Formats: sequence, C-alpha cells, structure tokens
Amino acid sequence: MFGLLVLGLFMGHPLAFVLGGTAVLTAVIAGKPMVLGIVINRIFGDVLDNFTLIAIPLFVLMARFLSDSGVTDRMFESLRLLLSRVRGGLALAVVFISILLAATTGIIGASITVMGVMALRPMLQYGYAPTLTTGVIAASGCLGILIPPSIMLILMASYSPLSVGELFAGSMIPGVLLGLSYALYVYVISVLRPDLAPAVEPDEKIGRGALLRMLAFEAMPPLVLIFGILGSLLAGIATATEASAIGAALALVIVIVRGRFEWATFYSALLETGRTSAMILFIVVGATAFTGVFNITGGLRATQEIIRGLDMEPWMLLTMMMFIVFLLGAFLDWTGIVLLSFPIFLPIVQEMEGVSLLWFVVLMAVVLQTSFLTPPFGYALFYLRAIAPRDVRTGQIVVGVLPFIVLIVVMCLLVALYPSLVTWLPAALYG
Amino acid sequence: QQSWTMTTTWPSSLELIETDKKFVELANKLTAGELSIEFFEGGALVPAGEVFGAVESGTIQAGGDWPGYWAGRDAAFSPLATTPSLFNAVDYVNWIQQWGGADLYNEIYGNYGMVYLPYGVTNNESGFRTNEPIVTLDDLQGKRLRLSGLEQGKLLERLGGNQVSMAGGEIYQALERGVIDGAEFSTPNVDWSAGFQQVTDYWATPGWHQSASIFGVMINKASWDALSPETQEKLQIAADATLLWSLAFTEKRATEAYAEFNEAVEINRYDDETLAQVQSMANEVIIETACENPNSAKVYLSMIEYLEDYAQWRDASAPYNLGRSPDGPDAQALRDCM
Amino acid sequence: MIIRAIDAVNETVGRVVSIIAVVFAAIIIYDVILRYVFEEPTRWAFDVTKQLFGFYFVMLGGYALRHRAHVQVDILTERLGPNALRVVEVLGYIIFFFPFTWVFVTRSWEFALRSWNQGETTYGAIQMPVYPLKMAMCVAAGLLLIQGVSEVLKILLGQRPEQE
Ligand code: NA
Ligand code: NA
Repeated sequence: MFGLLVLGLFMGHPLAFVLGGTAVLTAVIAGKPMVLGIVINRIFGDVLDNFTLIAIPLFVLMARFLSDSGVTDRMFESLRLLLSRVRGGLALAVVFISILLAATTGIIGASITVMGVMALRPMLQYGYAPTLTTGVIAASGCLGILIPPSIMLILMASYSPLSVGELFAGSMIPGVLLGLSYALYVYVISVLRPDLAPAVEPDEKIGRGALLRMLAFEAMPPLVLIFGILGSLLAGIATATEASAIGAALALVIVIVRGRFEWATFYSALLETGRTSAMILFIVVGATAFTGVFNITGGLRATQEIIRGLDMEPWMLLTMMMFIVFLLGAFLDWTGIVLLSFPIFLPIVQEMEGVSLLWFVVLMAVVLQTSFLTPPFGYALFYLRAIAPRDVRTGQIVVGVLPFIVLIVVMCLLVALYPSLVTWLPAALYG
Repeated sequence: QQSWTMTTTWPSSLELIETDKKFVELANKLTAGELSIEFFEGGALVPAGEVFGAVESGTIQAGGDWPGYWAGRDAAFSPLATTPSLFNAVDYVNWIQQWGGADLYNEIYGNYGMVYLPYGVTNNESGFRTNEPIVTLDDLQGKRLRLSGLEQGKLLERLGGNQVSMAGGEIYQALERGVIDGAEFSTPNVDWSAGFQQVTDYWATPGWHQSASIFGVMINKASWDALSPETQEKLQIAADATLLWSLAFTEKRATEAYAEFNEAVEINRYDDETLAQVQSMANEVIIETACENPNSAKVYLSMIEYLEDYAQWRDASAPYNLGRSPDGPDAQALRDCM
Repeated sequence: MIIRAIDAVNETVGRVVSIIAVVFAAIIIYDVILRYVFEEPTRWAFDVTKQLFGFYFVMLGGYALRHRAHVQVDILTERLGPNALRVVEVLGYIIFFFPFTWVFVTRSWEFALRSWNQGETTYGAIQMPVYPLKMAMCVAAGLLLIQGVSEVLKILLGQRPEQE
C-alpha cells in the first residue's frame, strides 16, 4: 500500500488522487471490493459533513483579500523601516509578522504565500543572502500550524480524546518558543555574518514623524485585524470557525477603507480561494479514503501488533514513533500523517503508564513542523519555489531551511525533556 | 465459520464503547468456531453518522449504535432510543423483553434490511451543564443549549430555550467560548470524561430530556440469515447478558462520577412542581410528534400501553416497586391519530 | 471539442460555486451578530453553513483539476523528456485517478439514491433534507471524472499549455 503511494507520488500525480487511487486498488487487490462503500461513507461524514473544516476556505479568503489588494506590502515596508536600526531587521520582521499571522491563521500555504510575496523580493533587493531569506520565510511561515488557532490542531482534536482547548493551550508555549528561537538564530547569524544580512542604508532612513505616520496608517490596520481575531477567540465571542469568518470580513473592510477595493480583484480572490480550498480538502478526501481502507483491510491491526510486539522501553517506542513521523514527513503532508498515525499510535500511547497523551500529541505537532521543510516533499519548499524568482535556485532554498530543521529538532528535545512546556498552560487554564 | 466486521458510533475516548466491547467479547466466546467478530472503534472505519448506511448496504456486517442517531430516516428511531420524561431503564428492559418491544425494534430496523439486538441500557442522563445556574423553568428562557433529538428540541422550545445542534466533539470548545449557554451530552461518567467540569460551573438534574437510553447492534439481514439458529441464539444470549451488565456498570460509574462532579460544580435539582410541568409539556410533544409519524405513533402507543398495564402492579407494590408510573401521554390520543 | 466542452462546464461551475464562500461567511457573521446584538441566534445557520461548505469545496474538485491546482510532486518527473513525461502522466491517471473517481461516482450514486429513497433529514427541531448534499457529491464526482478525461486528452494531444 505504501509502495503504491510512493510510486504515485514520484510519478507526479496529484497527491489527493494518489491517496484515493491507492485506497481503491488496495481494496480490489485484497479481494474486498465490498469495503469500497466505506470510502464514500468516510468522504461524506469526515469531510463534507464537517463543520470544523469550514475555517479552511475562510482563512484562505482572508489572506487573499489582504495580499491581493497590496495592503500587506505596505505593512511590511513600514515595519522594515522601523526595524532598520537592528541587525537582520528584515529577517526579524519576517519572523515576528509570521508569529502574528500564525496566531490568526493555521494554514501553511496561506502564511508562506503571504510572507513570500511580501518579503522575498525586498529582502533579496537589500542584499540578504538567498539562503537566509528563503529559509526564514519558509520556516516562519509554517509556525501557523503550530501556534493556535490551527487547522492541524483542530483536526488532531477531532481524532483524539483531547479537546481543542487543551491542544491549543498545550502547543502555545512550544510554538512561541520555536518562533523566538528562529528570531534568536536570525539575530545571531546577522551579527556573526553581516554579509548575509546587511543593515538598512543610512540614506534610506526616514524621520521619526514620517515613520510613525507610516506605522499608524500602514502597519496598524492589519495588526489590529490580527489581534481582533485573536481577541475574539480568547474573549469567548467566537469559535475558531466564526473567527475565520470575522477575519475574512474584517480583511475586506480594511481593503475597502484603504480604497484598494476592486471587483476584479475581489472576484479573482474568490476564484483563487476556491481552487486552494478544493486542493487542500481533496487531500483530506484522499487521505480519509486511504485511512479507511488501510484500517479495514487489516493494516491498522497489523501495525498495532508489530509495534506492540516490539519489546521496547516506552521511551524507545516513543522515540521510534516520533522518528516515523519525521520520516513520513519527508513524503506526506500533515493531514495524511495525522490521519494515518493517530489510529495506530494513540491507543498504544494511552496504554502507557504515566505518559500524557496531550504531551505526545503536541510533541508530534512540533515534529510535524519539519514535514513542511524536509525534502523531497516539503510543501513549504514547493509554495516558496512557486513564488520565488528564477535566479533563486531550489538548492538554495533547501540549504536555507536546514538550520531551521535543526532548531525544530532542538525544540522537540526540549519538549521531550520538559513536558511541562506543554502541560503547564492547559493545567493552569483548566485545572 | 463466519467472520464479521463490526464498528460502533462511539470513539475509544467515550466510555459508551465499553458496552460494545463487552458484547463482542461475550459473543466471540460463546460462538467460538462458528462466528468471529472483528471489532473496530468508532471512526476507524466510518464516521459515527455513517455506521447505519455501512451496515444497511452490507459493507460491514454489524454496527453498535444508539438508535436515535437514525431518526432523520424514521422518527420512530427516537422512542426506540430514548424518551423525554417517560421510560426509565427498567421500563425499557420490561418492554423490550416481555411487552413486545423487541419486535418493534426488528420491524423498524427491518425496513432497512437489518436485525437489531438491544444490548445496552442506561438510566437517566445528566441534564444541562451551564455557566449560570438553572433552578426553575424561568432560567431556561432564551438560553442557547446544545441538545440532541426532535422531541427533545421541541420540548426545550416549549420551555423557552433554543436548541443548538452540535457534534459531540465541538461541545467542549463551544462551552469554553460561550458560543452556547449550556449543553447536555450523556450520563455523568461520560460527561466527566469529556471534561465538561472544566468549562461549566453548574449542573441541573434530573435530565428530563432523556429519562433512559437504549444501545444495541444493527446486523445486516443477509449476514444474520447466514448464521445457524444456534449461533443466532448465542448472539441473543450475549446481548441479553450485556444488557443487564450495562445497567449495573453505568449506574456504578455514574455514582462515582456524581461524587466527582459534586466536588467540582454546583448541582441544582428542579422541584417536583417543575418536573410535573415538564411532564405535561413532554406529553404534548410526544403526541404531536407521533401524530406526524405513523411508525413513531405505533412505537409510542406500545410503550404507553405497557406503562398503563404495568402501572397496576407497579403501584400496588409501592414502595418496593421499580421506579415511577409516569403521568404520561393519553393512549387514546395516540390511537386517534393512527 | 470534447476537451473544450468539459473545460467549459467545469470553468462555469468553478466561477459560480467559488462565490458561495462569501455566502457562508456572511451567514456565519449574520448568526454571530444575531447572537450578540439581538440575543436570538438563528436555528438554521449551523446546518445551512455546513451543507454549503460541503457543496462548495466538493464541486470545485474538477475546477481545481482543470487549473492544475491539486498539489503534486514533480521532483523526478521534471527531469523526464516530453514523451516519457506524457507516458508517466497518462499512467498516473490510469492507475490512480480513474479507479478512484469511478468508485467515487458509482458508489456515491448508490449512496445518494438510498438517502433520497428514505427522505433522509437532519434530526432536531429543524429538519433539513440531507439528500441534496449527497446528490451534489455524486454530481461533483462526475465533474471530476470528466475533467480527468479532458486532462488525459490534452496530454495525449499535446494540447496542454505549460502553466504553473
Ligand atoms: Na495558527
Ligand atoms: Na517534507
């Protein structure tokens, strides 16, 4: 089954249909075409009839409104000037804006595209090295899936006995710490290697008044939007789904107030959102078909038996599971990995004495950060490749993300060694 | 030797799955060599709402359920699953085993090519968990409450509240965010495992919306017919044994969870007058619903006739009797609209 | 001719259905406003937005395929010559796409038909029919299948513009 999957991926066929096709072929080869009924049951029940997934098109729509109308360009420019006195200021701005974006959306494609479109060209223009530039954009753009709210965490909650609230709270500290570690790395490397990250030229610096004005008019509205969504979530006014709708509406208001509204842009944002949403959700369709057939044809049982049969210490077993997630991450996206591994791993972890399920799931969420960056199939790399100019080589992008992969692994070790990084906040909030 | 694939509507995280597991364990033991049932937790094969269709179409052979989930296909599934303010657990057992209830299950499920073995019964559900105390019916006015069921929703609206439909997995966050004012979900032990004590401060008992509940297994008719009469009988024995086990098991677990809730939240009880008021509105809702759905009327009538029949002896044996004889809906009113 | 007809169908569906995102966003916001400003939320918003969402994304599957928006991995295939590439691409459709979409169409047809025959509704104080969405899923599967036919024809005839 996995052989077919890898074959299909390497053939360059769309992932969604490779997953779905593998499911169908496996059922037929296993001599159980009858089980194909569950493919439809699952597609309907898990994807079409699923209220929590509504947030996906709405968050994509919000990001589209903001970036297509150029509102975010100006925000970025003013922040760049604000941070001009700091070494590596632009790269730091990318990290911090990404953390803020991360706190509003939970969609990798959206964040990376937004940041890439806004920051890539200016950074290269001002002499930042292509490796550092692409690395910081790709890595920071992935934070959205770890820092709540996040589609991945919502999906993880619906496939585990954990509540969305607990998962959001549990991944908050590791997520922010990871973001801060990116910032620290960027700052240190800028000081050590000024050639990678030059400072803003003196003649570019503008007066304090002009800067403040720019900040107030260009940078504030999107930031207010971001805090507005986050605030409405935290204040208990709206669920994640509702916050995503409010976010899209506020983004539209900002665009209109800025006088950037055009029907053509508005409509093309809708079309683009439709394609992106269909793309993401059809992967969920393929993955749910795959998982169902995998389970019913005995794959679930067999894998559980194999892992249970391994006479291992719990810590070794946990390490192995995380390593499997890391390896899968090189080939699959998070949706597939969560849907494949949860039914197999979680029952095993639940049987372990003294192991917190919340800790395990959050640790896995941190490990999954690497899946966007590890070649051959790192979606962050593909999204960035799609918007980067030709003279940035794919090799540079891959080299650029390597230090960030190391940082993620370090964060995994920290979370593994200090489970309270995960469990402290949920315990404080929910007792 | 037959081999069946079976799943359930419950994920492994909900204690309700214990009843399904108990049945499978017993059935596999009793029918060793004739039938082997491979059981998958809820969600592993199909989502909860699709278990019915998967068994009906024969994709899988058996599926554990709570009949109320299928009331969108036939409203009669609702009284087969639970009643507003009417049956208790013993009433369901009596009715199913001696007053003709079992036949009605097989008649309604039979319309969809399935055989049904009830194997789980739980008594009263918890009731609403809220962030403002509910003591009287006035406290329900204008509240947005998560509640499942048609009769239940109609009853709540008569009492002044608003029914919000929401999947079980979304309740926690909706309570936490204040999107709803309160929610009912299941029995105290199941509610505790869902973590509602973390996000609500008050609990209003008793759960008049769901006075008792039945769980069981849907079996594809063709798969059932392929079994020998002996094997069928063994499955029936496993179901009956599990039914009794589930009653005592859930009551024990609910008692333990009640004690835990008593530490964590404030528990209020409606007074008798309020409950009498709820009863009379529940009666109206039952008649109204039954009159719109012939199958539903048939089931309710059988239940009411049981109550009236049994009331003679039940009341005579008071105070050593099993539960109350409810002042339920009028049987004649049901007959009139059939 | 066939290619043009299929592309036109999915293009039209895509251009119309994409607008639905605004509709369900508006309903959600309307419901939030009613809840906080008027303390009287709608009884139907939850079910309606959920069904609209399902309709929205599933109908766009073929449209996304037409625009080659579905994520694929071209790390190996980008090194192939044009003819080898065409063979591999068509094989991908034959091995994966068509078996899946064929099952998707035929099984969802049975699925929708059962729901229609039973007059299936949602269950609560508001009873909303469920079968329209199940039928839409079947139609969407059909749109996806014919778009696959169009894509294969384009590959075979070498008509595909090398868009991103
Ligand atoms: Na996020
Ligand atoms: Na990867």
